[in-house]
Amino acid sequence: MPPIRSHGRNKKPPPDGFDDIEDTLLEFSNKMKDAENASHEGKKRHEMIWPIFQITHQRSRYIYDLYYEKEAISKQLYDWLLKQGYADANLIAKWKKQGYEKLCCLRCIQTKETNFSATCICRVPKDQLQENQTIECVSCGCRGCASSD
Amino acid sequence: MLKSTHKQVQFAPAQDALPDGWTEHKAPTGHTYYYNASTGQSTYQRPVSAPEPVQPGAATHSTEHNYIPLGFDSQQNLQHVDRFSQTSFRGGISGRGNYRGGRDFQDRRRQQADDRPKHKSAIPGYTPWVLVKTKMKRRFVYNPDTNESFWRIPEDLMKGVVELERIERERKERRQRGEPSDDEGEKVLTFDNKNSRHEDSEEYEEVEITEEEDSEDDRTSKKQRTIGDMEDQPVEFDEDDIAYQLKMMGQDYGLDPAEYGNPYEEELEEGAEGIPLTEDDTKALFRDMLDDYGINPYTPWETLIEEGRILQDDRYTVYTNMKARKDAWSDWSKDKMQILKQQREKQAKQDPRIPYLEFLQNHASPKLFWAEFKRKYRKEPEMRDSKLSDKDREKWYREHISRLKLSSSTLKSDLTALLKAAPLSALNRSTQLGALPSSILSDIRYISLPALTRDSLVQTWISTLPPAPETSELNAEESEEASKRRADRERREKALAAREKLVEEQKRRQQKELSYGRGRMREEERELARANQVTKTGLKGHFQDADEDIQAAGGRGVEET
Repeated sequence: MPPIRSHGRNKKPPPDGFDDIEDTLLEFSNKMKDAENASHEGKKRHEMIWPIFQITHQRSRYIYDLYYEKEAISKQLYDWLLKQGYADANLIAKWKKQGYEKLCCLRCIQTKETNFSATCICRVPKDQLQENQTIECVSCGCRGCASSD
Repeated sequence: MLKSTHKQVQFAPAQDALPDGWTEHKAPTGHTYYYNASTGQSTYQRPVSAPEPVQPGAATHSTEHNYIPLGFDSQQNLQHVDRFSQTSFRGGISGRGNYRGGRDFQDRRRQQADDRPKHKSAIPGYTPWVLVKTKMKRRFVYNPDTNESFWRIPEDLMKGVVELERIERERKERRQRGEPSDDEGEKVLTFDNKNSRHEDSEEYEEVEITEEEDSEDDRTSKKQRTIGDMEDQPVEFDEDDIAYQLKMMGQDYGLDPAEYGNPYEEELEEGAEGIPLTEDDTKALFRDMLDDYGINPYTPWETLIEEGRILQDDRYTVYTNMKARKDAWSDWSKDKMQILKQQREKQAKQDPRIPYLEFLQNHASPKLFWAEFKRKYRKEPEMRDSKLSDKDREKWYREHISRLKLSSSTLKSDLTALLKAAPLSALNRSTQLGALPSSILSDIRYISLPALTRDSLVQTWISTLPPAPETSELNAEESEEASKRRADRERREKALAAREKLVEEQKRRQQKELSYGRGRMREEERELARANQVTKTGLKGHFQDADEDIQAAGGRGVEET
């Protein structure tokens, strides 16, 4: 997750339509700042980074929906947003694939260097889990992101 | 017998009698109120009037009657069971109610009149037969084909009725669980009185009140409540009572009694919640809500829920689960975004510099450095417009500030120069001050002078200008077409010139060849003339010369063609 590039004084103006979504993106970045500066008191070690992943997911999903589902933003703007790092292009690339429509983060489908060489528990469909088994995956706190859920 | 009781009881009240037309009633809350059926008025205060002459005999009789113990009246009713079989249940109540005196008869009569069929449901498996439920929660079977009806359900129909009961119970449970009910054959009957009377009078069977446990419970509870009301015990103030109060208010406002019905109709109204919304209605309601709250379609759903503004709205609950709501919202936002997009396309594009320069004129001051100015007004839309780069903003700000320090005469001459430069088609006598061309508005020289002096200056300048040329009246499209035509014409002329040049070239070449040919001919003629002069070399020399000539001429001929 590279940081969002600043489009400061010497940059070209963003493409048309950015004004509409600017506020929402600003809100996301404020949330991200808060998450980054949040205290670690009383949290587990791996819990610290969960909000970061969650906000990244939300923001990527927002842009993905705007472009692919609602067709509300132009191609130029979408590309520009990806280039500026507002959305994770690799994650979006996965969402386009069957079976990965709701993928929470890229780390959860990584099979290498895991204990059983398998994907994360959150990729398991709900009906294959035991009754009343609640899960929160270690990498991003996801509670289940199988496409069939 | 009952009727006679009524007549005696009507004069029963121990206190002073009510004026004519007024009747005393008791609200479920225990309040006594008075109602005038003829005028439709109702009041909590006891209406007073000229005291009516009360017959002493009747009064004594009624008091006597009031102290008749409970059993008596019910016995009477039992005696009349075969006559008024369908009213036996009510008779029981009203018999007890006689303690209260005057009002119970009113109740009874109303109940008698109001016991009407309410629901009709087909008995599964026995097609022509229907099970009719009355408002008093009693029921009978009815065959519309043969026009037969029985209070006691025949043995062979019993199975179907039990089945129907089961189905209804299931549906009720489902409704309680909040699932949508598939209301099939549940229709509110509008039997006319004649029909029901016919049924009542035709069959005098013993009333089969119930065989279901739950309906029995309902009835007893209802009975108890009614009795409780009548015995003036402290009662709980429940929803029914609230509804009743509302009705009372309706009465106070002079509504007709028929509009709100009598207090015992409350059971009827519970059917009203069952009006099913269609899919489209639900969707439209939800979308209306989103529209009403002025929600930005670009906000994500999670933010919307976190804000919680729409959660309070009733229309939020038309969908029962979050997934459906989110779907409806995404549809709505999709449509809304498209509409916004189209609107934006229609809008004329304004130069982003114009609002910024106007903002500068109003707010810029030499006391502020650019950084300070930017910081101070960073929230203004003009400062955040992404069409302009910060670099440009800074440049213009500095330029503007430096120009503010110049003398006003220089600024005025600059402005005049700017106005002079504007073409007559854009700026002429008919131009309004509010609609100056953007070429002027977006120039830094325009904002240097204070607005008042500048405006008067521009005004005077405009008044000196000649009227607009004819072409200026053409709209943009026409002018574009004209320019296109002009370009076409230029292109044609250019092509023509090139062509002429080519033709010229060819002509020149032809001319050249012609002159060359003439020269050649002259040469030949001279040759001939020379040949005619026979010299001493004789004919031999002459032939040699001719051969050479012919060869040369043939080669040239080939060349020329």
